[in-house]
Amino acid sequence: MVSASAPSFFPAFWRGFRALAPLWLGIIPFAVAYAVTARAAGLTVWETQLLSLTVFAGASQFAAAGLFGAGASGWGIVATTFLLNARHVLYGLSLARQLPLGRGERLMAAQFLTDEAYGVAVVRGPQEPGGLTFAFLLGAELSLYVVWNAATLAGALAGAVLPDPAALGVGVVFPLAFLGLLVPMLRDRVTVLVALLSGLGAWGLSRVLPGGLVVLLAGVGGALLGALLTTRTAREGGEAGEGA
Amino acid sequence: MSVPVVILLMWAVTYPARLLGLSLGRLRLPPFWLAFLRFVPVSVFAALIVPDVLGSPEWPRRLVGCAVGGLLMWRTRHLALGILGGFAAYWAARLAGL
Repeated sequence: MVSASAPSFFPAFWRGFRALAPLWLGIIPFAVAYAVTARAAGLTVWETQLLSLTVFAGASQFAAAGLFGAGASGWGIVATTFLLNARHVLYGLSLARQLPLGRGERLMAAQFLTDEAYGVAVVRGPQEPGGLTFAFLLGAELSLYVVWNAATLAGALAGAVLPDPAALGVGVVFPLAFLGLLVPMLRDRVTVLVALLSGLGAWGLSRVLPGGLVVLLAGVGGALLGALLTTRTAREGGEAGEGA
Repeated sequence: MSVPVVILLMWAVTYPARLLGLSLGRLRLPPFWLAFLRFVPVSVFAALIVPDVLGSPEWPRRLVGCAVGGLLMWRTRHLALGILGGFAAYWAARLAGL
C-alpha cells in the first residue's frame, strides 16, 4: 500500500469488523432463511446469491423473494425495493457529517452501507482513537457483507435441512442490537422524548406502510421534532439568559 | 422481465440512495439542520426497534427480552452482554409459556 494512512488502516478496520460480531448471531439465520425463501420462490442459486452481492439489504431481499414467489411484476419488485431502501439517504447524510470521505471511499462505502453498520459507526466510531475513520466504517460494513453472503450461499445450497429462524427466536437479536446503540444516546429529556415518539409513530405507521418507508418517515419526523425542540430551547435560553 | 434484470434494477435504486447521503457531507448547513442530523440516529433506531417488538406476533416475549437487554446495556454499556442477556430472557419467557 502506498497510501499515507496505510499503517493505521488495518487495526481500525479490524476493530470495525469485530464491533459487528455480536450481530452475526442474528444475521446468519436470517441470511439462510432469505436464501431458502428465494430458492423456494424459484430463483436459482446464482440469482439468490446475486441479490446478496448487489442489493445487500435484508428486508428488501426478503420482500423480493416473496414477490418473485407470488409472481409479482418486475417493476413492482423494483418499486418496493426503492421504498424499502430510501432510508439509506438518511444514514449517508448523518455519517457524512462525522466523516469526510474521498470520492473513491464514498463509492466503496455506499455499496456496503446497512442499518447495522451505520448504527455501530455513528455510536462506536467517535470512541475510536482519532474518531470515526473510513477504515473503521469499511470494517463494520464488510463484517456484515462477508457473513451475509457466506450464509446466503450456505442457505441456497443446503438450507432446506436447517431450522427456521423463527423456531430459534433470533428475530429478537435485531431490536436488541439497535437498543444497545440507542440506550447510550438517551442522555436528556428531549432525546428520550424523540425516541419514544419516533418509536410509537413508527409502530402506528407500520400497520399501513412497508417497513423501509416507516423507518424513513418516522426517522425524519423524529429528527425534525428533536431539531425543533433543541433549536427553540437554545434561542429562548439565549434571549432569556438562562439554559434549559 | 427476467430475474437477473430485476435484480440489477433493484441494485440501481438502492446504491444511489446510499451514495447520495454520503456525497452531501460537505454541504454547509444551518444550526436547525445540524441538530436534525444529530437526532437522526435516535429517531431511526427507535423506529427500527418499536415496530419490530410490538408489531411482532410474539411481542410479549420480545418485550421481556428487550426490557432485560435494555436494562443490562444501560447498566453495563456492553452491547454483546445486552444482546446475550436479552436473548436469554426472551427464551426464558418463551419457555415459561409467555
